[in-house]
Amino acid sequence: MLDRRLYAHIDWWLVAAILTTSTIGLLMIYSTTYEPTTGLVGPQLSRQLVALGIGLVAMFCCLGVDYRLRAGGVTAIYVGLLAMLIYTAIYGIERGGGQRWIEVGPFNLQVSEFARAVVSLALATLYATAWSKQWRTVGWLAGGLILAAPFLLIMRQPDLGTAATLLPICLAVMVFAGLRLKFLMVLGVVGILSTPIVWTYALEDYQRERLSTFANPEQDPRGAGYQQIQARITVGSGGLSGKGFLQGTQSQYNFLPAAHSDFIFSVLAEEHGFLGVLVALGLYLFIIMRSFDAARVAADRMGMLLVVGITTGFAFQVIYNITMSAGLAPVKGLPLPLMSYGGSSIIATLIGFGLILNVRMRRFAN
Amino acid sequence: MVNLNSIRWREQTDGLLTLGRIIVGVVFGLLALSFWSLQIGQYDRLAEMAENNHDRTISLRAPRGALVDRNGNVLVDNRYTFNISVIRERVADLDSSLDLIGRVTGADVDALRAAVLDQRGVPAFRPIVIVPDASLAQVAAVQARAIELPGVIVEHDPARYYPSRKTASHLFGYVGEAQEHQLRDVSDPRVRLGAIIGQSGVEQSYNLLLMGENGARRVAVNNVGREIETIDQVSPRQGRQLRLTIDLDVQQAAEEAFAISGFDGAAVALDPRTGEVLALVSLPAYDPADFVPRVDQQTWSTLNSDARRPLQNRVLQGRYAPGSTFKVAMAVAALEEGAITPDFSVNCAGGARFYQRFFRCHTRHGRVALHEALEKSCNTYFYTLGSMLDIDRIHHWAAALGLGEPSGIDLPHEVPGLVPSRAWKRLQFNQPWYPGETLSVAIGQGAVSVTPVSLAVMMSTVASGGLRPVPHMLQAVRSGNGWVAADQPAPQRVGLKPETVAAVREGLWMAVNRAGTARRARITGRDVIGKTGTAQVISLEGLAAVKAEGDSGRRFRDHGWFVFAAPQDDPRIAGVVFGEHAEHGYLAAPIAKAMIEAYFAKHDEPEGERPNGA
Repeated sequence: MLDRRLYAHIDWWLVAAILTTSTIGLLMIYSTTYEPTTGLVGPQLSRQLVALGIGLVAMFCCLGVDYRLRAGGVTAIYVGLLAMLIYTAIYGIERGGGQRWIEVGPFNLQVSEFARAVVSLALATLYATAWSKQWRTVGWLAGGLILAAPFLLIMRQPDLGTAATLLPICLAVMVFAGLRLKFLMVLGVVGILSTPIVWTYALEDYQRERLSTFANPEQDPRGAGYQQIQARITVGSGGLSGKGFLQGTQSQYNFLPAAHSDFIFSVLAEEHGFLGVLVALGLYLFIIMRSFDAARVAADRMGMLLVVGITTGFAFQVIYNITMSAGLAPVKGLPLPLMSYGGSSIIATLIGFGLILNVRMRRFAN
Repeated sequence: MVNLNSIRWREQTDGLLTLGRIIVGVVFGLLALSFWSLQIGQYDRLAEMAENNHDRTISLRAPRGALVDRNGNVLVDNRYTFNISVIRERVADLDSSLDLIGRVTGADVDALRAAVLDQRGVPAFRPIVIVPDASLAQVAAVQARAIELPGVIVEHDPARYYPSRKTASHLFGYVGEAQEHQLRDVSDPRVRLGAIIGQSGVEQSYNLLLMGENGARRVAVNNVGREIETIDQVSPRQGRQLRLTIDLDVQQAAEEAFAISGFDGAAVALDPRTGEVLALVSLPAYDPADFVPRVDQQTWSTLNSDARRPLQNRVLQGRYAPGSTFKVAMAVAALEEGAITPDFSVNCAGGARFYQRFFRCHTRHGRVALHEALEKSCNTYFYTLGSMLDIDRIHHWAAALGLGEPSGIDLPHEVPGLVPSRAWKRLQFNQPWYPGETLSVAIGQGAVSVTPVSLAVMMSTVASGGLRPVPHMLQAVRSGNGWVAADQPAPQRVGLKPETVAAVREGLWMAVNRAGTARRARITGRDVIGKTGTAQVISLEGLAAVKAEGDSGRRFRDHGWFVFAAPQDDPRIAGVVFGEHAEHGYLAAPIAKAMIEAYFAKHDEPEGERPNGA
């Protein structure tokens, strides 16, 4: 099914960068789950390895199918996502104050992680051809609906962080599909004006607390501000060249919570210092730039929009997580793609890259 | 197939992509700057905060220096107290573990449970002591079952150890945690909260030498305070070992003799040439081991409320009427003042009249000169001296011999006795001195009171011919592999005429070796000199009154004294025995005899009995 000629067009540079980054991720998971008293490593490493394997298989499977699916196929995928989100809301496993997982054999699947790729695919299909002038507004509204359904379902879990990653995807795809920047600015002004309303009505108490704690973490150093303070200490104490692999006192002695998941980049900064940070930032920057390149060379509008959507979601999540890992953004449960521990996250991310590679390798085909 | 439309959206896309790349590039640049600011700019501050997060210092208690006697016998040593503790988080089944510990150690299982329950607020990874100060058998029993008892550990801490139990407990004193008032003294940084310091005796006087230097273990702890690893460790340094002037044999001889006698009391033996303390006994004694690792409330209040006052060091803190032992000072005063010569004699008719009042003697001694008066302890003779001497001259000579003054012994909490004078009486009662009072003082009654150690100083001074020693106990301090001699306090020379010394020595020799009151201290070939004394605790009328109320009157019985030195010509041991409520001074004499015998047993043999040949 995979045309042999297409192999030649796989972006091996991107694949190499992805593999390098996820290998660094594995090392950091090893470090953060290593127990200095017993010398044992937690079960997370092998689970992550399995997930990485599944993800890579899924990624290459994505290459086999042309991204230009018929509208019916995309609709089926989109409706499947919604169904599974609804299933999660009803039968999902509750953990850490949120109902986000469903049991799939020995694994727990976080459906919302796949929403970014699915929404990108759906929007790209929606705007595959430009809407004629009189229907344009309808098109934008339809896009809004495609976003709104999974957004609301994920927010209800509650998981504001993951839901929020859908917003930049939708905006980016719409802008690339021809949404005027003027319109965007109006949206921005409305957003700013509605801040007090959102603050008062839309946010939960703990979210308000997190935001105000972010502004002044010292007001609650033992509670909500703790992670943020510890994250800064972790990063800062790494210095130029870091404390060395397995030598990070902040992570090894558990002063930094969620070190292997949300705060894995802090640990990298602690153990490998500013130099390690530069290498990791460079890798992520390379991946993002290389992905944008796939959008530039895409054979058609749909491919371009698909790559833009997925890359924007990836970039947004990387930037937010890294900012947070330095204690410079409010703490949100967002994993760092390719590095953080989390099977659903790594599989969904790799599927996303499968789609990007897919678009790029079919750039000459019609 | 390229069409116009396609070209238009491609141009638009390229522009937007460039914009997106610029935005991402700028954001990544800002991120790199942020990390630069944190990791390079604020590195010092944040690295220190990270250190403070995980660095903890645990103090390692230093053992105190050991105390040995002049012959190297260990008097006070250290041992490790073993505590059996549980770390709850490592214990699989707490109840069955406690049952097993109870079974193998013989400890009460309910007490073990209570110990765990008492400390349930302690984090589960911290050891909880369940059997404090466990015996070696208990430790061995628990360690033999180590596999069945995960999470049960044995911890150790250095503590004082007294190989000979209550022997000389007042001399050593006890140790305990620094009290609030002691913490206020900032002269030594080692005396801080939780430090074990000397609370009495030599332990207190030489605390700074005996205290070691605590070590420290720096450990890394995790976010809940669990120790993960040791970063570095400074081993504790033991305190200095001290060699005391005490002779354990003399000390034990005295304590055994007291045990046979059946009364409490005090005894001091000095080397009159130097002031070195050979033995120092105060009875009843407490058990210093009761204070290890710390004294419990009940023991402490029992010790404090005990009518026999076991915590009081009678040698330094007991003040009693010297009775006839004061006659030694009187004889010296009269001879030195030139009031009499040794030949001066008095006719004792069972007493005599002075100042229109009859003063009684125990018996009718007939005509006695000074040496007979001392031998037979004739009151009439010393009343006469009292009538001839001014109280201030008596005070002068008694003070010169060390009475009524602190001896300066290197033990804490010494109190001076009292030898009255005109100035004292005016100050105390705003009254003039009456000559009749001098007669009471002359036989060691009335206002005069002394501590046993001051009588020992008096006896040493007279026996040595006028060298007043400062009693002390520190002979040498261990330094490396050798000993460094401690500074010895210099004796003070009291100008006594040789005739005075000879006359008093003769009288005291006769008291022991002739028909005198102190024959029980006689040792063939040792030429022991001595003087007994009896100190009235209550007047005869008072005693009769108490007895009428049904009181046994034991606590009002007279005290017995015996001051001694040997040998007469070149005294090498001198001292005092105080028999509390012993009634008679001669009952104290055998205790002195035991000390003198123990002392000479290991020194040279008597001259005539030394075996011939080399």
